[in-house]
Amino acid sequence: MSVNIAILLSLLAASLWTVLTRSLLRSAIGLALTSAILTILMIRLDSSLAAVFELSVCTGLISVLFISTISLTHPLTRKEILAHMRERRARFWFLPFLLIALGVILSLLKIKPPIDLPAPEAVKEARNVLWSLRQVDVMGQIIVLLTGVFGVVILFKERVKK
Amino acid sequence: MTDMTLLLPILLPFFAGVLVLLVPRRFRAITEGLALTAVLLQLALTAGLFKKELVFSLPWLGWGLEFSLRLYHFSAFIILAVAGFGFLIALYSTVFMRQRPCLKQFYAYLLLNVSFTSGAVLADNLVVMLFFWEGLLLALFGMIAIASKAAFKTATKAFVIVGITDLCLMLGVALTGSLAGTLEMSRIHLSLDGWGSLGFILLMIGAISKAGAMPFHSWIPDAAVDAPLPFMALVPAALEKLLGIYLLARISLDMFALGADSPVSILLMAVGAVTILFAVMMALIQKDYKRLLSYHAVSQVGYMILGIGTAVPAGIVGGLFHMINHALYKSCLFLTGGAVEKQAGTTELAALGGIGSRMPVTFACFIVSAVAISGVPPLNGFFSKELVYDGALQRGWVFYGAAALGSFFTALSFLKLGHAAFLGKIEEKNKQVKEAPFSMLLPMLGIAFLCILFGVYNHLPLRALIQPIVGPYRLQGHDFAGLPENTLLVVITLIVLAAALASHLWAAKKKGSALKATDHIHYAPVLSGIYAKAEKRFFDPYDIGLKVAGYVAGAVFWCDRAIDWLYDGFTVNLAAALSHRIRRWHTGNYSTYLSWSLIGLIVVTIFLICSR
Amino acid sequence: MYAYLILIPFFSVIILNLPFRTTMKKAAFWACLVLLLAQMCLVVFSAIFPGCSFFDIFKTLFKLDFTADNLSRVLLFSIALILCVTLLVQKSILGDKERIFNFVNMLLIILVGMNGIVMVRDIFSLYVFLEITAVSSFILIGFNQDLDAFEAAFKYIILSVIATALMLSSIAIILLLAGDTSFSAIASTVRLSPHRLLISLAVGIFLCACFIKAGLMPFHGWLPDVYSAAPTSVSVLLAGIATKTVGVYTLIRIVNSVFVLDRSLQHLLLALGAVSMIAGALAALGQRDLKRMLAYSSISQVGYIVLGLGAATPLGLAGAIFHVFNHAVFKSLLFVDSAAVELETGTVQMDKLSGLAKRMPVTGFTSVLASLSCAGIPPLAGFWSKLIIVIALWASGHYAYAMLAVLASLLTLAYLLTMQRKIFFGKLGQDMAEIEEAGPVLMLPALILAVITVGVGLLFPFVSILLKGNLLGG
Repeated sequence: MSVNIAILLSLLAASLWTVLTRSLLRSAIGLALTSAILTILMIRLDSSLAAVFELSVCTGLISVLFISTISLTHPLTRKEILAHMRERRARFWFLPFLLIALGVILSLLKIKPPIDLPAPEAVKEARNVLWSLRQVDVMGQIIVLLTGVFGVVILFKERVKK
Repeated sequence: MTDMTLLLPILLPFFAGVLVLLVPRRFRAITEGLALTAVLLQLALTAGLFKKELVFSLPWLGWGLEFSLRLYHFSAFIILAVAGFGFLIALYSTVFMRQRPCLKQFYAYLLLNVSFTSGAVLADNLVVMLFFWEGLLLALFGMIAIASKAAFKTATKAFVIVGITDLCLMLGVALTGSLAGTLEMSRIHLSLDGWGSLGFILLMIGAISKAGAMPFHSWIPDAAVDAPLPFMALVPAALEKLLGIYLLARISLDMFALGADSPVSILLMAVGAVTILFAVMMALIQKDYKRLLSYHAVSQVGYMILGIGTAVPAGIVGGLFHMINHALYKSCLFLTGGAVEKQAGTTELAALGGIGSRMPVTFACFIVSAVAISGVPPLNGFFSKELVYDGALQRGWVFYGAAALGSFFTALSFLKLGHAAFLGKIEEKNKQVKEAPFSMLLPMLGIAFLCILFGVYNHLPLRALIQPIVGPYRLQGHDFAGLPENTLLVVITLIVLAAALASHLWAAKKKGSALKATDHIHYAPVLSGIYAKAEKRFFDPYDIGLKVAGYVAGAVFWCDRAIDWLYDGFTVNLAAALSHRIRRWHTGNYSTYLSWSLIGLIVVTIFLICSR
Repeated sequence: MYAYLILIPFFSVIILNLPFRTTMKKAAFWACLVLLLAQMCLVVFSAIFPGCSFFDIFKTLFKLDFTADNLSRVLLFSIALILCVTLLVQKSILGDKERIFNFVNMLLIILVGMNGIVMVRDIFSLYVFLEITAVSSFILIGFNQDLDAFEAAFKYIILSVIATALMLSSIAIILLLAGDTSFSAIASTVRLSPHRLLISLAVGIFLCACFIKAGLMPFHGWLPDVYSAAPTSVSVLLAGIATKTVGVYTLIRIVNSVFVLDRSLQHLLLALGAVSMIAGALAALGQRDLKRMLAYSSISQVGYIVLGLGAATPLGLAGAIFHVFNHAVFKSLLFVDSAAVELETGTVQMDKLSGLAKRMPVTGFTSVLASLSCAGIPPLAGFWSKLIIVIALWASGHYAYAMLAVLASLLTLAYLLTMQRKIFFGKLGQDMAEIEEAGPVLMLPALILAVITVGVGLLFPFVSILLKGNLLGG
């Protein structure tokens, strides 16, 4: 259990780094790292199928996201970045305090953690699950992917053409 | 039994009135002819209906309200009188109104007045009566307002005063209806206790203000100056008295059992006595023919109210008899006033004088009616006043004293009026004055004749008209026809009249002018101050009301401003400020929005976890 | 039978993008229009003959489980109607065939998404279709590729992703407890499970996701930017039906069929509804941009719907659903009118416009009708739904909320009349003299929507029969 918690914490750290880092490149690396840690976590939790999906989709997603992002952005100067960070600090100085306050409130509420959760069901065969039980969702996911493709085509291909 | 003919006395003049309005202005003769024919037909119709008993009823308005009319001896008599006066005044107006503008409207309103009065009298349902009563208010307003621009103010005044009292009447109708459980007048029999008294007083206010009693009288003297004279002779002098006293008699005799032991009776008598005295005191000092008459129109109502208020047979019979008598001689007096105005061009007493020799018939009619109003035997006014005195004396010497004193001042003021207008030295410019035309004289003569007839042969009105109204039960076997029963009262009356004559002659000689014959009263130590204030309308309830209303309006205006500010200023500013604040929060920064959402999420989740 | 509503648009998208694209491009617009009209017809048909079903051959091929009750039918009809309007507006704004083709594709996908949301009875499938709708919404918002629109789309993505993540976490907890994701299984778990804390947590998280999607205050941050920056045709779609389906319908369905609408949930809904209603109206009062004002107005109207839902009575529910439909009609109409104004004058800044009613009579007239319906003036449709909501609130003892609802109605009237006065009434501006009425393609949907809002208002007795029926039944 403690290993999983440690991985979870590192997942949190990786994602924070992804969001907070100044350079796009590091951010991309962070995202990949996050994805990798998540995959490890999923494997450890006996969800190998989900882990495979996560890894494969994430690689595709990262490339799409970064291509589109880079096509839309213009690099900031160092000064601007600093100014931006200062501004962000000024605006969100209260967040840590809020977090602490929240923790205090929650602890004061004396919420009892649930003791006996039902055990997760035995892993069913993936093919069976996907085709027999979750046919609608599979179709839905296909449509989401299709939409993503359309989005890239509509928003970026034409933009490049311009 | 329902009978459609009962609708005719209402509908005939009404449609005639509407028709008159439709006649083009050029055809004056058609207008006059139409109006005259209509009132003549009405007269014939009501005469035909006289002595009949009919009922008419029709579902109306829902809620069980019936459009019910009832013709019986009382209402038949009143609508006959209304039609009669209507006819005579219309005849008189053909000459008098000839040169006036708004001729068409005048006739239309005249006919409408006749129609609505007939309707109000015939109505057997309080709501139906109220309907016609309010119609009369409109006709009254219209009739005063058409005279001139200045008259509009007077018309408003009349409208406001009568409107307020009509509101009382309306409340009274509602209260009475809910107390009695029915609105049919002939089925209402209430006792005078608590709420019953209140209902009675509210209805009474409506009735006596219609009749023109104090303190609801103050529009009448103003209207006398502004409104067309036939209107004065018709409406305040005749129709409204008939209607008001009719209602008063109905409520005190039929609907409520007004007994001599009731405090309401004292109240009525007090109103009557006060009206008699104060109005006649004001009449005394007037220097205008019409205005003087108009105060008497108020004063005489006092006798009627006093008479009915006594709740003893003599008083009631006297009051009702006085109602018809007063309608007669006061119309006649107004008509003589109109004749003088028409022929001499003015009604200022100072500018008149000595025209009696130029207008002998008018003067004769004036003498008859003035003598009648002063209560000199053997004219009709004498007999009705004697009955009222009799009734008042049975209830207390104070009321009798007031009535007798009123009689003294009445005689005094008419001596002054007659002396100043018709006798004395003739003014140079009045030398050309001629007698009035025949169609003006005819109504005067007719009414004067009735004055004499009702006096000399008072069995006719008393036995045929008045006593059936009061009913054998209330009369307790009395028969008031013939000479007065109480000779002592007659003697006192004669002494009072003689004193009035003596006073007048003495004062006129001393002052050297008939016009100033009442100055010794006018400028008496205490009275002069009161008179001065009264002349400045210090006691006019309308003016007082206006002043109070002014203050109230000021206060209300400020309240209104405040409320307005609340709506227009405060609310709008508040909304604008809030709106501005909310807009300021929407900076467009997504991380701000994000934190709102997260805070919202935390609050919602904690709330749900804690509250479930 | 209802599976067709998913499958046909889905296969249409595929067919449209097969070879022969040049032919397809010509046909796309009409195909989409016919499809939408067919959906409306089908819904009306199935509402009239509820027992009837036909051509169920797909059932043997696919195990698609879609059903529709009356609530779903109302939504299905509104979806098709508003998509029609959107399509026509887009057509009149942008005649370019290529772009229209792309737009039609996106429209069909979002149609699949919304139809799916309305018809699924499984919380995970619901999530999937929400995703479809959300992703296609991003693309549609950025369709014109200007920076404002991208920024708005970005905001929408961020908040929408948050909502999605919340929803997924909630689904995870529920799956843990219930072992299944179908509505009926969750409903029984929620009622019977001993794990009150986890259930409350899941409910709270899921509701917040719905609130974000519906744009309820204080979860509304994305909404004004998106509505005002998106192409007007997309604003019609989003304001009219998309957020209502994604957020409000989901909320209604989940609260009524899955979760237990107990007192605390009721208080939560009432409070949030009232806040949105009042604050949205106040914010709308101060706006100068027409589309932005309409966006805040949308927040305010969603507040009404949630208030009706919070009354927790069948009457309140009926009022809420009726208001969803009415709001779809009049808000779309207002956005169509704003599209006309933008198309003809090039701006939607209220300060720059005046007296347009003289030059654009149809636009002016229909916008007045829509405003009055929005403010709840009888006898227009909006009046009845607001009345039902207020009555439901009053009857269930929430007097203060009922009064707030009436007050908000006044505010609504205030800002809409301000808008009318600024844009359509008054003196015609100097530079406005040459303005002409927008074309028939744009005025047709405006007129149809105006007729609906007046017709539904006048024929309310018939509508009320429908509302009296069992809305959540089979």
